[in-house]
This record gives sequence, structure tokens and C-alpha cells, in this order.
Amino acid sequence: MKIYLISLFTFLIYAGSASSQIINKKQLSVRQTGYRIDAKLDPVTKTISANMEAFWVNMSADVVPDIQLHLYMNAFRNSRTTMNVESGGSSDKKQSETGWINIKSFSDRDGNDMIANMNFISPDDGNDNDHTVLKVKLSEPAVPGDTVFIKVVFETKLPLITRRTGYSDDFFFVAQWFPKFGVYEPAGMRYATKGGWNCHQFHANSEFYSNHSLYNVTITLPVEYVVGTGGVLMNETSPDSTGRNKTLTYRAEDIVDFAWTAWPGYKVFTDQWENVKISLLLPNDRIEQVGRQFTAVKYALEYFAKNVGPYPWPYLTIVDPPSKGARSGGMEYTTLFTSSSSYMMPEFAHYPEMVTIHEFGHAYFMGILASNEFEEPWMDEGINSFWEERIVDHYYGENSGLINHPFLKVSDEALARLSYVHSGARQDVTNKEYSWNYPHGTYGMMSYDKTATVLYTLMGIIGEETTNEVFRAYYKKWAFKYPSGKDFIDIVNEVVTKRWGDKFGPDLNWFFDQTLYGTGICDYKVANILNSRIDTTGVEISGAHTIKKDPKTNEIRFKSEVQLERAGEVMLPVEVLVHFKNGKEVMESWDGKSRIKDFVYTGENEIEWVKIDPDFKITMDVNYVNNSMTLYPDRIPVRRLTNKLISFMQFFMNFFFL
Amino acid sequence: MKILNSLKTGMLRSMKLWKGILITWFCSFLLVSIVAIPMKSALNAGFGNSMITEKLSKGINIEVFADLGDSLKNLISYFSGGLFMILLVGFLLNCFLSGGLFSSLKGISGTFSSSKFFIASVKNFRSFFFISLLISLIILSLAIIIVVFPVIIASHSESSPDGSGFRTAILVTSFFVPVLALVLLAADYGRAWQVAHDKNNCFKAIGFGFVQTFRTFFSSYPLMIILLLAQVMFGWLVLEILPGFRPVNEAGIIFLFLLSQMLFFIKILLKTWRYGSVTKMMELDIAEKINNTQA
Repeated sequence: MKIYLISLFTFLIYAGSASSQIINKKQLSVRQTGYRIDAKLDPVTKTISANMEAFWVNMSADVVPDIQLHLYMNAFRNSRTTMNVESGGSSDKKQSETGWINIKSFSDRDGNDMIANMNFISPDDGNDNDHTVLKVKLSEPAVPGDTVFIKVVFETKLPLITRRTGYSDDFFFVAQWFPKFGVYEPAGMRYATKGGWNCHQFHANSEFYSNHSLYNVTITLPVEYVVGTGGVLMNETSPDSTGRNKTLTYRAEDIVDFAWTAWPGYKVFTDQWENVKISLLLPNDRIEQVGRQFTAVKYALEYFAKNVGPYPWPYLTIVDPPSKGARSGGMEYTTLFTSSSSYMMPEFAHYPEMVTIHEFGHAYFMGILASNEFEEPWMDEGINSFWEERIVDHYYGENSGLINHPFLKVSDEALARLSYVHSGARQDVTNKEYSWNYPHGTYGMMSYDKTATVLYTLMGIIGEETTNEVFRAYYKKWAFKYPSGKDFIDIVNEVVTKRWGDKFGPDLNWFFDQTLYGTGICDYKVANILNSRIDTTGVEISGAHTIKKDPKTNEIRFKSEVQLERAGEVMLPVEVLVHFKNGKEVMESWDGKSRIKDFVYTGENEIEWVKIDPDFKITMDVNYVNNSMTLYPDRIPVRRLTNKLISFMQFFMNFFFL
Repeated sequence: MKILNSLKTGMLRSMKLWKGILITWFCSFLLVSIVAIPMKSALNAGFGNSMITEKLSKGINIEVFADLGDSLKNLISYFSGGLFMILLVGFLLNCFLSGGLFSSLKGISGTFSSSKFFIASVKNFRSFFFISLLISLIILSLAIIIVVFPVIIASHSESSPDGSGFRTAILVTSFFVPVLALVLLAADYGRAWQVAHDKNNCFKAIGFGFVQTFRTFFSSYPLMIILLLAQVMFGWLVLEILPGFRPVNEAGIIFLFLLSQMLFFIKILLKTWRYGSVTKMMELDIAEKINNTQA
């Protein structure tokens, strides 16, 4: 009874604190879920023992008989889990290298043991060997407005680092480590036609879909460990009586996941951007990266704040893991993310900056605009890649964002475009698929690169400022909610119509249906340029070389024609720049719908060259080479290249031989 | 004094051997042109009448090449094959021509005879081929033992600190380069000995090379270091000049061609200077030995 009362008291205090503000002045989300976790790390056995109290509020009008939780650490339990099967069926690892989560006790608000009500389910593939989703029948169904409290004692064994979680020697990156509620979607939310839990298994290609939550996490671990988390340090106790352990208390508000890292070798640096305190944890040997990392993240903060919306938390933690923990690099947890760099990373390679900007961007498209990455991965990874490329190329060079070396310059946008337009599987699947259904390893290309290229093309059509307006409106309407792809497209339609009227039709669904949700390719080409001499009546003169000039006007007249083709299935409006020999230029607009399009001119001038999409706005075009044609091709670049190639081979040969 | 004398004589002899260097340059130019010229035609055909080449005005642009599609795949496979062919034929050519160069550098009289050059090339080819092959294998083995293995071990060691692979690479490379100079010296002495003797005997030549290297270490080794430094500095100069030079008109292209070939000619001259200096050093040492014996 006493235990029961204490337990109830704790729950009540916790429930009260769920709406209290400590980090932000205003509550950012409705906080449908919250967690209080007391965790202890054992660096020898690589396990975390924890007590967790958590709540879920039934905000729907449904009577909900059960709850569903992610137990994602079970994805690393054996080779038969869905994640491992999808990854290619890796053979069973040594026991010390596996990962799992064991529930030791599970009770409700009244202290009732619910272990018997638990069962593992596999809603995505029916794999009985996969224990990454736990369904727990409630003692009493949750009626609308009810708050379901649970108390769980669990033990998590970390795997040898894989999929951005686990241990490596004395390095720990602790993610996907505690039982976490799925998202209850009432009818009308996203695509739900009736209420139900949206709680997917852990897949090889999937990361997040969770409610914005409150986290109070206490971590006990050996004193020598330096810790980084997605929360704010509220308290640190001095070493315990043994002098070996310390306890750190963190709080995080309105984030979708709580991850942390611990390693004795971290050096911690701090910096500030406006009201955001930025902490950077990295190995001592990588101190030369500190300035680069801070600069990159500040660029991202600035660009997002200006073009999308404010970063709402007053803190941010960047982790640049050591080489032995490199497999935890390049991952996002909203207010904490991992970058990826290396010792003596050359200045011309902006790879660490690119990773930092990308992972930070997830704070917006996974954290604030918490879309369902399992079902619509393009909404997080793709949109975020688009912004990453814009930021990298904006700050580090339009044509040299990623590599800026005198010998080679590569833009971030170009690399993503090439990944899509030259993929042999670019037409295999659309972006409508769930993350685990992308065939032939197309997940990355489709979710990241094709989406970013599609959005660049959209920006080319509607303009940069309208694109920014779209994202500002998207942020304003959907921040700390759970938008679907349809919601995003609705925003695009709304903003574009408001700005451009019906210039692009009543909406832009035609664009998304062809590009994002279609498998067609976009390829416009110049088929031919024809210049022929004509007489005064406009009739072509055969053997015109004998007639130098029109006898009446004393001028030569020409009928000049540009023949264009749409070689792909995708139909997009394009600009066509026609250049005449006297230097005159005409910019034509083509709706891009017909298979063939001719532009015919008569006058005193011949066409010299023509370019479709002269500013390369339609980045989806799979072949830029056929977008232009000239009567006088410039061979100088190829000759220059050949000259250099000859020299390279000569010096190469001379260097290698005695 | 011996070092300066060798360097000076080596330079004079290699300058007098300009026709031999010209032959070497011409052969290498011919060889790489076999690969480069068809590549140029293939690139021109791939780009056709497109204006996309405008994007190459600021240097290599991966989008432009990637959009060549299948033409690029063919170009890459042709280039890879071509490079392999150049390495193979180039190795044989180098064995052949260095025989002529070494022979012509031997106590040079001041006149160059192309027939003697080619006769010496033919005569020494077999021996030079085996010397080059064996010394190359020695260098490759040393590189694996001294550089590759330690770097792999350091990079994959879980407990080693961050960047240890890179640091190890720097450390072992700074050890490997002086060793490489030593092996090159042995190779040059071996070849200088070979041209001074009628009978082809590559093993004896290599043996002599190593013995001579260690016997005259304090004079020969600094000589080789100076010569290699000169080559490294010249290489750096070439890297500073050529890649960044992007002519945009016909005259510029011709200038680029002349400049790059002149630089390569100087590169061969520098290597010949090395051959000549080592040859002279050997001659001085032999003369010294004879004097000592007579005394």
C-alpha cells in the first residue's frame, strides 16, 4: 500500500511536471507522451539497467484497449530479426556483440503487473522472430482524455556498434535503448481512416515516427566518462561512496527521441548562436575540426531561421565520434546529432560540414515537423537533403560546396542529382513506398537524392522565394504536429496559387504526380537547328548558294528553325534560349507537353545556337549534354583536357619507372 | 668535392645528351598519344554539338562527364586499359631507352650518335629489364612491409587513438623515402656498372649496385638526396603551373602544349642528370681505387 501511494505520488508529480516549463518559456508541443528514466551504465557488461516511468495521453475520441511500444534494441538480438533479414541476413554474432532489451517488470498506475498482458507483434511483415514492437493490453481501456501511466524495469544490452548505436571498446553511443510509445493515430490524422497505433518494426531503412515528448533522464556511470545528450544537464552529483560513479540528470522538452553518448576521451567545446548554446564533443586529436563544425552548424541555424522558421530550443549538442565509434556518425536525435570527420580532414573537402548541416537539418524535418519516416521517408531525408544541399552550396560555393580543390570542384546538389539521374533503378519505384519496400537498394537514391532533385526542379519552376515561402508556411502550420506528404503538397498548392495565381494551373499536383509519385524520367533535347535561305515570298531557295542576296531588298533572308524533343515521360515547363548569329537572343517558353516542338523564325539572321533550360533549373533532366546545340561547337575544353591528360600520363610514367 | 664534381659533370653530360633525351621524350609522347588522341575523338563525339562543354571552362565538372552516359563508361574502360598498356609498354620502353642513356653518359666525348644510342639500348635491354624488374619488386616489397602493413595495423587497432593511422603513415613514409633513395642509388650504380661491362649480368650488376652504395655511402647518398630533391621540387613546380592553367583560345592551347612538353623534357633531363651524376661518381670512385692501388 505504501509502495502504491509513493508510486502514485511520483506519477502525479511527474504528470504535473509534464506541463511545466524549465527549458523553454512556452510549451512547444502537446506532449502526448513523457518519460522519466533512471539508467545505470555498466561499461564492462555493456548493459544499461533502468527504471522507467512513462505516460501516454489518449487525445483521440477512441476507447483504446492497448498500448504499443518500440523495443528497438531487439533488432540486434539475432540474425532473424526483420532488420537483419532486410540487411542481407547477417550471420549470428557473438553473444557479446548482440543487442537486446529485456523487460524485467511492467506495471500500470495501480502497480498491477502487466507482464502477462504483453506480447510481441510484427505489424509490418509478420516475422515472429522480430521482437521490436511490444503490445500491452491495458487492464482497463483508455477512454478519451485518459492518461495511461506505465512503470517499466528493463535491461538493455548494447550491441557492438552498428546502425548508429552500441559500444566500441570504452565508447558508447546509446540510442533506441528504452521502450518508447508508438504514435496513436485517430481517424483523420495523416492517412488514418480509423483510429489505431502506428508502431512499425525496426527496419534496415527506417528511423523515426514518435510523439514530441518530455524526458527526464538520470544517468549513472563511471566518473571518468564524458557525456553528451539531447537534453540539458539539470544536476550532477559528486562521485558516490565508492568514488567510482557519478549521476547526471538531464531534461529535454518536446523532442521525439532521447539518445546519449559516453566516452572518456571526449573534449567538450561550447559556442553560441543567438540564444542557442552549442556544445561540441569530439576526440582530442580532432581539435582542428572545432572551428569547422561550429561554423557549419551556425550557417545551418542562420539559413533555416531565415528561410524556414526558428530553431526553438536554446541548446544543441554535436558529437563528432572517434574513429572507433565512427559507425555512430551521421545520425540525428533532434537536439543532439552526430557528425562525421577524421583526423587531418583536408580543408577543401567539406564532407564534415555537409554531414553536420544534414544532421542538424533533421531537427526541422524529423524533430519539429515530425513526419512518419517509415511511411514517407522522403519527407524527412529528402526534404532535409534538399536544404542541406542549398546550405552547403550557398555557404561553401555554388559549384564547389562539397569539394573545392583547384583540380576538382563538386557541388553538393550535383552529386545528389547524379546519384538519381544515373541510377539504373531510377524508374523502378515511386516515392509512395514505405521505407522497407524500396527494391534493389533504391531507398537512399529515392528518399534522399531523387526527392532533393525533385525539389530543386520545383524551385526552378516556382522560384527560390516562393520555395522559401512554402517552407515557412509548412513550418508555421505543421510545427510540432505530424504532417503527411499530402499536407506538404497542400501547402505548396496554397502558397504557389497565392503567389502566382493559375500560372501553373489550379494546383501543382501534376508536378508531384509525375515526379515524386511517378517513375518517368525528364529528358528534353535539342534535335536540330536548320537555317535555309528563302526568297521574298518565303519559299526556300534550292541551290541557294548561287543567290547571294535578295535582289529587291539587297539582303539575305533566312528561315531558321529549332527542333526540340521531349525524350522522357515527365512533362515540365521549360525555357528555351535561341541565339542568332548577330548576337540577338530570344527566350521562348515551352509547356513541355508535346513530344516535338519547333520554333521557326524568318529574318535576316541564322540561328547559331539554342539551349533548353539555359540556367539548369530542371535538375531532373537526366541528360544535360543534349539540352543544347550549336553550329560551332567549342572544342577548346576537350583539347585542353587532352593536353593535360597527355602530360599526366607522361609524368605518371616517368614517376613510376626507375 | 666529389659530390659537386659529380653533379656538375652529370649535368654537363646530360645537357650534351639532349638528342637522347629528345628521343626519350618523343617515344613517351608517341606512346601516350596512342591512348590520348582516340580519347579526344571519343570525347568530341560524345559531346557532339552540345554547348555543355562551357561548364568545363572552370576545370573538371563531374556532371558534364557523367551526363555522357554510356560514352563515359566506354571512355573509362578505354582509359583504364590504355593506362595499363602505357604502364606495361612504358616499362619496357624505359628499360630499353635507359640502356642507351646510361651508355651515352659513360665518359661522354661531346658528340651524340643515335646509332650508338640504339645499339647500346638493344645490347643492354635484357640486363636493364631484369635490373628494373628486380629493383621494382624490392621497392614494392619494402613499401608493403614498411608502409602498408603498419598503416593497416594502426588504422584497425581498436584501442589506438584517433588519427593514429594517419600519423603512422607520415612516420613510416618519412622512413621509407630515405630507404627508397638508397635502393634507387643501387639501381643506378648497377646500371652504370652494366654499361661499363660487355657481358650482360643483371645479378652481378645489382650486387655491385648495393655494394657500391654502401661502400661510398657518405658521398653517394647525399648526392642522390640532392638529385631527388631537385626532382621533387620540379614536380611541385609542375603541379603549381599545369593544373591551374586553363587557356580559352587556340593560341593558349598551343602554348599549353608547348609548355607541358617542355616541362616534361626538363623532367627527363633531371632524371638523366641523376644517371649522369651517379655514373660520374662511380667513375671517380673507380679512378680513386686505381690510384690507391697504384700508390
